[in-house]
Amino acid sequence: MSKKFLFLAAALLAVILLSGCTGGSVRGNTWPGLSATNDVAYLTDGPFVYAINLKDGTELWRYPDQRSNKLLFYTTPYVTSDGLVIVGSSGSDASLLALKPNGNATPTVAWSYAGVKYHWVAAPLQIDDRLYAPNSDGNLYVFDLSGGQADKQPIKVLELATDLWAQPVTDGKNLYISSLDHNMIAVDKDTYQILWNEDLGSAITSSPILASDNLYVGSFASNLEKFDPANGDHASVQKTNDWVWGTPSLIDNNLYFGDISGNLYSYNLETGKYNWNPITLKPDNWAPNSTKTPDESKATAITASPLAVNDFVLVATESGAIYKVGQDGNHELWGGQQQQPGGKIYTTPVLAGDLVLVAPMTADAYLYAYDLNGTQKWAYKPAN
Amino acid sequence: MWNIFISAFTTVLLWIYNVLGQGPNMFGIAIILFTILIRLVTWPLNAQQMKGASAMQNLQNDKDWQEIQKKYAKDKEKLASEQMRIYREKGINPFGSCLPTLIQFPIIIALYQSITRALATTPYGLLQLSRSASPFGFLNVTSLIPLNSKFLWMDLGLPEGIPWGLNISFLPYGFPLLAIIVALTTYVQAKLTMPATANPGDQSAAMSNMMSLYMPLLLGWFALTFPSGLAVYFITSNLLGIFQYAMQGKANWRNLLPGGNKQPQIQAPKKTK
Repeated sequence: MSKKFLFLAAALLAVILLSGCTGGSVRGNTWPGLSATNDVAYLTDGPFVYAINLKDGTELWRYPDQRSNKLLFYTTPYVTSDGLVIVGSSGSDASLLALKPNGNATPTVAWSYAGVKYHWVAAPLQIDDRLYAPNSDGNLYVFDLSGGQADKQPIKVLELATDLWAQPVTDGKNLYISSLDHNMIAVDKDTYQILWNEDLGSAITSSPILASDNLYVGSFASNLEKFDPANGDHASVQKTNDWVWGTPSLIDNNLYFGDISGNLYSYNLETGKYNWNPITLKPDNWAPNSTKTPDESKATAITASPLAVNDFVLVATESGAIYKVGQDGNHELWGGQQQQPGGKIYTTPVLAGDLVLVAPMTADAYLYAYDLNGTQKWAYKPAN
Repeated sequence: MWNIFISAFTTVLLWIYNVLGQGPNMFGIAIILFTILIRLVTWPLNAQQMKGASAMQNLQNDKDWQEIQKKYAKDKEKLASEQMRIYREKGINPFGSCLPTLIQFPIIIALYQSITRALATTPYGLLQLSRSASPFGFLNVTSLIPLNSKFLWMDLGLPEGIPWGLNISFLPYGFPLLAIIVALTTYVQAKLTMPATANPGDQSAAMSNMMSLYMPLLLGWFALTFPSGLAVYFITSNLLGIFQYAMQGKANWRNLLPGGNKQPQIQAPKKTK
């Protein structure tokens, strides 16, 4: 009997442990997606998409109203010009959904597309009445937003790569899309013709940034790469100490970006050089008697893009700390130690009016709002 | 500690994938080769399990054993102490057939976690992968990302299913061929290892019979729900298990037939007046 019990207990333990590691509808599978309009923050975090009132941090609605074990959300919610909230699911139902907000009620699904097998990681991009949605199956799906059908079909499916994780960027004429399988691709937004396709030899997780008529992107080859948008000519302009994850941010003529070892870089577009030696943003600035301790592991990755605010950048780190970094490289914990959200921050913070929104993973609350001085205004935690 | 274990598994898995050349199907082949490696490492454990199961089975037909079962049927404490005495006398470890099986559960879980970590289907997974394989130094993970997860008709990062055009809510990925093969091979393996019994009240045989039904269902459900890389591991492991039993002459092929696990009952001699 004891053998039987042991065996069944082990089987049960295996079920629990395996279930705990799967991509089911659970929070914490990966980091949340965050975006905002003037009044509302949109957060994707596991089984739900949340809409939160920016005035007071109260929940306006969530989708779906009941947890579904088929839906899992972490793409950055994308708000179209007519107010639809576009989110892709990463669950067994890998649908792209267009949610139509309806006050405080659960939004209706204006349209959906369930024709992909793979999950959605990247946010789409709207240009005029076209929506360009990259999927991790490597295809770029183009939708006509002017049609009103509920069961929407793409007007074009472009096979570009094997894995697309980054939102496209545009100069108004062409789309520039980076792929996890090492390529930077330029596509004519109207004819869908692939203009050039350049292999960098290593993965790219982020979108490029258009600055001074060039494209810049960081890669897993630990390089900052520069592209000529006209023909794809490219070169590595600077080395980094580790993989670059997030899109660089631009202030004046300087690009700011981090790597997964916690180093922050400032690259001058005119000189082609770093403004200062990389700053390592580690949580050793924390006072030892703090009640809010940093993550004890050495996890200090910077996966989020630095957020440009006036003449400084805010850098959210895996240690749960947010740093304010000036153009001269001086840096400090933003708002002081007691204001830090904790948890692990991988998601790029969002500036919404005079609020900075931060969505940590594994913190007490799901979303924190700060004023521009780094003082917490409210925190949002779902009731259930 | 557990993380180091996962990292080691992930590194070996990726190293095999790298040696194979990183192309289509190679991650599936890497899982198969890795499973063979795991089976070789755990070969002594499995051999011990077979030996233990066989010894326990023989014990059920032992005269002394049967005697104490009858004699102390109402005195559990005494029965237990007598059972321990017989175990000691015959040099049998009562958990000898069970512990090796239990040890394999962490290996299954670690393998599952290393497969999902290597496939890195989410941004967080990819970040973890960068830390999993790099501590061991000799593998350049950067050149391996993203892994080619295609294997035959499957994507090893997704539950397996052959599209069949039917909308069945609990089978969103289609016809679950691999889950069925997992359940079948688990059943066959369990049946082959069940020794024939002549004792109808044999608790051990009853339990083995029950497990031969539970385990296929459990592993079949795993294969249905989790990424198909795990199902590839289960099938390879089951086939290797069957091979090992056959090699050691322990496979009881008659058990695959209905009623095949029963030996003819020994008739008690008729009492004469």
